[in-house]
Order: sequence, then structure tokens, then C-alpha cells
Amino acid sequence: MNKEFKPRITSFLCKWCSYTGADLAGTSRLQYSTSIIPLQVMCSSRVDPVFLLKAYLSGSDGVLLGGCHPGDCHYETGNYHTRRRFALVKEVFESLGLESERLKLSWISASEGPKFARVANEYTEEIRKLGENPTRKSIFL
Amino acid sequence: MSSITIEKSASKGINDLLRHLLSTGKVDAVLAMRMMPDTGAWDLALVTDVKNLKELKPLAPVMTVNASQVLSNLSLSGKKIAAVLKPCELRAFVERVKREQGSLENLFTISHTCGGVFPLDLVAEGKVDRLLPKYEKVVSAGEIPSNIRDTCKACEHFIPMNADIMVSAAGECKPGEGCMIYLNSDKAREALSECTGEHGSAVLDSTSLEKLATARAREREKLFSSIEKDCSGLDGLVNIFGKCVGCHGCSRVCPICYCTLCDFESINFDYNLPYFEEHLARKGALRLPPDTMLFHMGRLTHMSFSCVGCGMCSDVCPVGIPVAAVFSRTGESTASIFDYLPGRDVTEEIPVMIFKEEEFPELG
Amino acid sequence: MTETTGIPVVLKTDNGVETPVREFLGQMLDSGAVDALIMPLKVPSGDSFAWILLNDAGMLDDAVPFPAVMPVQGARALRSLTRKEKGDLTVLALMRPCEIRAGIELSKLGQVNTDNLILATYDCPGAIPLQDYVNDPESSEASFKEMFTTGEPGENAKPACRTCVNFSAVDSDLHFGFLGISDEGMLVIPGSTRGAELLQKMDIQSETGDKLLPLWKSEVESILKKRTAARDIAFKKTESDIKGFSGMLNVFSNCIGCHNCQSACPICYCRLCYFGSEASRSNPEALMNQAIKRGGISLPPERIMFHTGRLAHMSLSCVSCGQCSDACPVSIPVADVFSFVAEQTQSTFEYKAGRNDGKPLPLRDFKKSELPGVHELVKDAEPGGASHE
Repeated sequence: MNKEFKPRITSFLCKWCSYTGADLAGTSRLQYSTSIIPLQVMCSSRVDPVFLLKAYLSGSDGVLLGGCHPGDCHYETGNYHTRRRFALVKEVFESLGLESERLKLSWISASEGPKFARVANEYTEEIRKLGENPTRKSIFL
Repeated sequence: MSSITIEKSASKGINDLLRHLLSTGKVDAVLAMRMMPDTGAWDLALVTDVKNLKELKPLAPVMTVNASQVLSNLSLSGKKIAAVLKPCELRAFVERVKREQGSLENLFTISHTCGGVFPLDLVAEGKVDRLLPKYEKVVSAGEIPSNIRDTCKACEHFIPMNADIMVSAAGECKPGEGCMIYLNSDKAREALSECTGEHGSAVLDSTSLEKLATARAREREKLFSSIEKDCSGLDGLVNIFGKCVGCHGCSRVCPICYCTLCDFESINFDYNLPYFEEHLARKGALRLPPDTMLFHMGRLTHMSFSCVGCGMCSDVCPVGIPVAAVFSRTGESTASIFDYLPGRDVTEEIPVMIFKEEEFPELG
Repeated sequence: MTETTGIPVVLKTDNGVETPVREFLGQMLDSGAVDALIMPLKVPSGDSFAWILLNDAGMLDDAVPFPAVMPVQGARALRSLTRKEKGDLTVLALMRPCEIRAGIELSKLGQVNTDNLILATYDCPGAIPLQDYVNDPESSEASFKEMFTTGEPGENAKPACRTCVNFSAVDSDLHFGFLGISDEGMLVIPGSTRGAELLQKMDIQSETGDKLLPLWKSEVESILKKRTAARDIAFKKTESDIKGFSGMLNVFSNCIGCHNCQSACPICYCRLCYFGSEASRSNPEALMNQAIKRGGISLPPERIMFHTGRLAHMSLSCVSCGQCSDACPVSIPVADVFSFVAEQTQSTFEYKAGRNDGKPLPLRDFKKSELPGVHELVKDAEPGGASHE
């Protein structure tokens, strides 16, 4: 069954780095997983922890948050805040015994098309091994 | 540390102290728990007339509302207020001040070593008076009363942090043997320089509270491990919060949740029909109204690192969900990753408002 | 009581009253008469129910058509589904009469769109108080079973249910009637042309309800008499309890200002209640001045104002479902007061909350000549007693 399982990975990508990195991967004709569902945000720090939770609880098998490398934020410090918030959500997941592997943070710059493709593929594989998100079928959420 | 000893019980001693502050004009008002003389019901009262002070029961183990919530607004009145707060109420107020929801400037914060409070249903049934003698006996022996809030039993921060004035009311306090008052700030020393009682110098003898600290740590471990067992994984989460009726009472009585309009009440979580249709197509069913788990998990990410474990949320839950236990347990984890302790220090910034350039190397 | 529209269908009750309802609803789903159902399902912890929107007929086995308790007022579920747009999903909701009535009030208030909703209801024996159920589901189920068989809410029902006079045959599209006839069968009574058309479309072969209908009606009448009597007694008690300002203070003396009553209320739909808003927050200087003038004040401030304000804002639409009392953490009989006052305010305008009779909400309407008593008061208050008439 896992062979047919195609994960859905909701991906919040910052406009300046990770989304552009994804574009570069595309224009460089690099193959990357079609499990990635990209959503452009102006900055990774625009992503309230609740966005990640909503994606998780709505049945995304994985949730990817991509931003500029620390120090490179277009708005100078946005991604430092992102990192704290992400650490917070991860900790909430861990304290509740939820699969925190379903959340991933990655720093991908605009020039890192190959890195984007690699992260996308590796994360897809990781999620494929993890299997379908149980929230996908749960009706009492 | 300066101290005053009043040869009375703690509850009488603190009333003397408040009388002194109000009658000498050091403060304009006193905020403390009160038992309403006509109905016997409890409320939090702001008293400005000395003759009404006798209605106050500042050390009563009752919390009808986390006082920090009402203090926010009052603290901006420009008048001086002596506020008698339980340690968790003071910590919550400090958290609120960090969020620009009040000011410590015009306050005399008075707190006490806390034996815990009775759940609201006992208070509403009018049982406090009857239960009080036994409570006082147990608490002064440094033990945990069996009928207090679960999170009070598990509270390790029963010694107030940073109160201007601290009254000893648990552990070492023996009724009738004198009320120990510790003065932690210059403004407290100044205001009470002429208060009757024996002035001296003393520090809170925490060895007498060690027994209580050990007992509380044990209860905390017990409570947290039972929550860890019950609320683990998605099934556990649904098991605990599945019966939530969505009244959001927990967030309204939460001293940290200060937003006038919570995100989860907002239009952000109203959905168009296609949303429901998509869920129907995928799983054949979904809950109405939706987003029950999202609300609780969302609140955990928005405020848990500031949770002081006051237990108001559990007390108002109409279906008896152990909200406070879940929130203090997760709160302990989320605060610890930032080396944060809510209410410890007003100058310590909320972890999500600051960052370090080098941290969480395992992320990203 | 509503008149029936069209011919009732009789369902066999050899296997109790729940099974035929499940089968009937399953048939509606299978035939495409409706696209989805809103039904209560037991939550995984087993000590409460949740509203579930479902289109998988297999799930009906887990659905509980007549739950012992009302954790979330059904109108709130209807609102969450239909507030934004009507779409073209036809949904049947099986709910208690007070839930359907609240849904109808919300539709007048623009919060529920009934265009594609089929509102179905049943003879409600009342509900068990929420906390009782959560504390002991097993014995609560036993009490409910007894209530359900007799059709009479006993000691164990919510106080609001014991005095409810709208427990059957309220305005709805379909009504499941079984009081006094459940040994012989169960009536599915259409209450609207839409309900009648649906029944016709389903083409159920059954005896006509000619025989059972009068039996059912007379049983409903007889229970109505008893509940009306209970209500009269309860209202008298409440009237004396809340008399005068001191009465109100006394009844609400334990109020901690959590506003659970408001957030559990199906009618209070405002996402930001005035009484929780910045606008209602006392200015700190004013609050302090008030305290100085009076020697002290009770906090949080304006708790009585909140309750009287809510009475003014929503009592005209109050359906007396009792959710407010269930949600109160300090056991204030909020619903007793609200039901009693609602009866007064609604009768002032000859309005009945929850009816689908085309009458507009009283405060959205006026007549040039009405409420003479009020007019006198106004006239007295005006200098010279000037009249606009």
C-alpha cells in the first residue's frame, strides 16, 4: 500500500529565498517530488504556528517551512523568529506525543535550486516511510 | 531582608497590614478576595474605604477569577493599589505586563506562600467556610490538602517571586504564633516603616517548606505522567479534547490569553461550503463546528510558555477536561526550550519576541 | 402546535425507535434525496457526543439519533456549516426541537441559511445535564432511557427540559413522532411542503398515519399539560427569586464573569460580544472613581450588567434550551431566569421564538400604533406630555 501512497506536503516557502529556489530547481530542469504543494509567503515568519497546525490537522502528510538562511532574511530578522516559533510547535508536538517528523524547517536560498530538489525528494521519502497522516481520516478533530 | 512580625495569625496579620496601608494613605485601594457579607458568595473586591476591609479574606484559598486579569485595567488608573495576589496570579500579571497589559508602577504587590485553592464548584456550593479550618491545619503542616485544584497540588512555585511584600502563610506559619511579613522592595520598606509589629531582619526559612516542595514535586510527577499516558498521540488528544463543546471558556478565563478577539473566534476560521465538501469527499464525515483540536493546539503554541498553571481553565470547563494539567505540562516543555520561566522577571522578554543568532542548530 | 402538511408515513418500530430512523435516513442518503446528514456521534472517550456532518451511510450505525445529552446546541453546528454561503449541498439535520428552533431564530438573524437544510426533529423527552452525563454516562443513559420511554423528563433531566412546552411538533420539515404509539409504530410527519415532497419522493410503502396520528396527538397534548403546569410553578419561583435588584444580585452572586453562558448560547452569535469588547471595558480612572465613591467594588465589574444586557439583547429569541445553565461553572440557574424573562419579553411583542411563521424579529419591526403602556411612559417623561400621535 505504501508504494501507492503519494504524500501531500504542504510547503510554505518564503518569496525571496525558498520559493525562488523552487523556481530555480524548475528552470534548471531538476526533477523534484510532486508531493510538494508550494504556497508562497512573503517571509517564513509570516507563518503563524497555527498555519502549521491547520495543515497538519487538515491531513497534510508533511508540512514544510522554507526560509532564507539565518542572517539572509530579506526583512533582516524574520527567519530568526521563524526558527523560534518552529521550535515551539515542534515541542508542542513532542509533548503531546504527535509525530513531529511531519513538520520540517529548511533554509533554502534563491540560488539553491539543487538543494530545494534534494530537500523535497528526501522529505517526501521520509514521509512516505512514515505513512499517511492519521488526521486524514479522523472525524473528531 | 527586612521583616515585620505581627503577633497574630497570618490572616489577621495581613488585614492589619492592609489597614495600615489604606488608612495612612500609602495606597488608595486594596484588591483582595472577599466573602460577600449578605450572600456568602465570593468575589474579588477593590476596597477604598477602611471600614470595608473587614469583609476581605486576603489569604482565602479561593480564586474566582485570576486577579491579574482585572488588575491589568486597574493598574492604569494612576492610583496606588495594594493587590493581594496568589503567587500564580502575580506571575500571570508579570506576563501580562510584558504584553503591555498593565503596569507594576502604581502597585504594591502582596503575595504569600500558597497552599493552593479550592475548585470553583466547592466555592459555589458555599463550602469554603466549613473546609477552611482543616485546610489551614494541613497547609501549616506543609502538606497538600486533598480537595484543592489538581494543578495547585502539582504547583512548585508556591513561594512568590518578586512580590513587594510577602506573607508567610504555608509551611512555617503556625496559627497564633505570629505572622511573618517580608519586605522585598524599597517602596515596601518605606510604606511599612511605621506599621505596628516587630521590625527586624529575616529571610524566609525555606527548609520548613522543603517538605511541601517534595510533596508537590511528587504530585507534579504523578499528574504529568498521567497526562502523558492519557494525552499521547492523535488518539490520546482526541480522547482528552474530543468532548470539548467549543465554549472557549478556558481561553476567556486564562490570564495569559489577553486578546479581545481570539484568532479562533475570528472570521479566519469560518469556512465556505467547498471546505466541508472536500472533507466529506475524503473521509465521509467531519465534526461541526470544526477545529476543536486546532483551538487547543493553537492555544498551546500561542501561550503555553507563559502558562502559570493557575487552573482556572479546568475549573470553568463544562465537561471536565483537565485543560490545566495538559497546558502546564506542555507549558513546562515549551518554556524550557527557551530557558524561560513565566513570571520570574518582568525584564525577561517573552521567548517569541526575541531570538539568538545561534540557537536550535538541529533545525533547518 | 404546527399543523401537519401532507400525509405522514408510518415506520415500523419492532426494533425500537432508533433503528427505523437510521434506516430511514440511510435511505434518504442512498436515494440522493439529501447529500449529507448532521447527526450526533459518541466521542471516542464515550462520555459525550459531537455533531458530525456525514455522507457515508455506513457511519449511520454509529450515529445516535436521540442522544441523552446536548453538549453543543445543534444550531451552532448549522451556523458553522451555512453561515458563509448556501451552496448546493442538501443537508438533513436531526436535532432536538429547541435546536431546530434556535436554528430558525439564527436564520432570521442571518446566521443560518436554511435554503438547503432539511430540519428534522422528534418528540424530545428532555436531556440530561451535561456535567451529570460526563461524570456518569452509564447511569445517565439509564435515566434517559426511562425519560424516553415515558416521554416525561423526570428529576434527572435538565431543569429547562422539565418545564419545556416545545418538546414536540415545532416548526420543522420532518418530525419523528412516537409518543404514546411507539409500540405500534412511528410517524414521520411532514411539517412543510419541502418535507412533504421529500417524503413523497422517497415513496415509502406504509400504512397511512390515520390511526396513529390522533393517538400521538392526544399523548402530546397530555404531556404538554403536565409540562405547562411544571413551567407555571417554576416561573413563579423564579419570579420571586429574581425580584428586585437584590434578587438579581442574589441569584447571580456566584458569577465569576467567565461568559460561558453566552458562548454556549445558540442565539448569541456575535463573534465579539459587546460585553467582552474594548467598548464595554471600563476606563480605569472611572472604575477607580466608582470604587472611591462607593467604598469598594466587586470585580470583575458589571457582571449583573452583563446578564441584564444579554437579556435585552437576546431574550426575544431565547428558545429555553438550558445550555447556559449547563455551561455555568458555578451552577447559577441562568436558564431559569432567561426562560422566565424571555416569556415576558416575547409575549410583549406577541412573538414566539423558533416559529417559522413569517413574523419578523420584533426589534426589526414596528407598528405606528402599539405598546400603549410604553407610550404612556414616554409621554410622561416628555415635558408637557407632548404626543407624536
